[in-house]
Amino acid sequence: MKREGYLVVDHSASPGLPEDIARQAGYDPKHCGEGKVFEAATLTCSHCGNAVVKNPLRTRERGFCRKCDHYICDLCAIDAQSPTYVHVPFRKLADVTMNLAEKGVVLGSPRELLEPPIKIFIP
Amino acid sequence: MGRRIFQAASFTPTATADASALANATYMSIEAGSATQAIRVKEIQCGGQATASAVNIMMFARNLTNATTPTALAAPNGDGPESGATAALAAPPVTYTAAATGPQRTNTATTARLNLSFNAFGGIVKWFANLGEEWEIVGTSVSVAPSSLSAFTGGNVGLMGAHIIYEPL
Repeated sequence: MKREGYLVVDHSASPGLPEDIARQAGYDPKHCGEGKVFEAATLTCSHCGNAVVKNPLRTRERGFCRKCDHYICDLCAIDAQSPTYVHVPFRKLADVTMNLAEKGVVLGSPRELLEPPIKIFIP
Repeated sequence: MGRRIFQAASFTPTATADASALANATYMSIEAGSATQAIRVKEIQCGGQATASAVNIMMFARNLTNATTPTALAAPNGDGPESGATAALAAPPVTYTAAATGPQRTNTATTARLNLSFNAFGGIVKWFANLGEEWEIVGTSVSVAPSSLSAFTGGNVGLMGAHIIYEPL
């Protein structure tokens, strides 16, 4: 696939990873043990921007957004099935963030909430 | 703009839970230099330097909370352009491994994070993004922008070195 990234986990000179850790990372445990090299394609989700290790043995349908014409990860695919879902690809979010920043509006929690000013109570 | 390399020669990450401040010299963090700057992360490489078996559950993830007052990088860590002909940026990206208060890794299920687990006793993990499919850092808003490479809870972390190749747009 032309949009794939590439991941290599080289344990050719290492004891490698235990099976549970390899599974947690999305690697094939058989190729992450001592002396093994794990190579995999990665797919980037157009909704959250994350890269996902592609499972070549997967038979279930992969998430795909027709509006983006691009792969989306499983979590975003579930979100996209909600009747209340509003389509916001990562690039759109980036555009909105940049446009608001140009107008002086920075998204996210206001600094005043993260670091509340010290108030002195005078009865 | 030209590609730049942010590298930390040698550090021992500390296994830290999501939404907890990362301790100094246990992470690598990258933020846009301004609210309108975009950065594309093209490659991340971690190489093990431990002298005994040590599983590092490394995660490159967006920050839930930004660091306060990042400390300027000092040798042997560094951040510079790949090409000597790269023009200086008006607002260079902020790369750091220490701060007054460290950043916190996201704990949100739908916020991006890359799991780059490997054994730091001789292991190497490397991720390359395809063109147009890079990890994007846009502006300075948390959960869409600043990102850090740090160790997640678990494993018995060991010494490692890492580099992040990125391109400010």
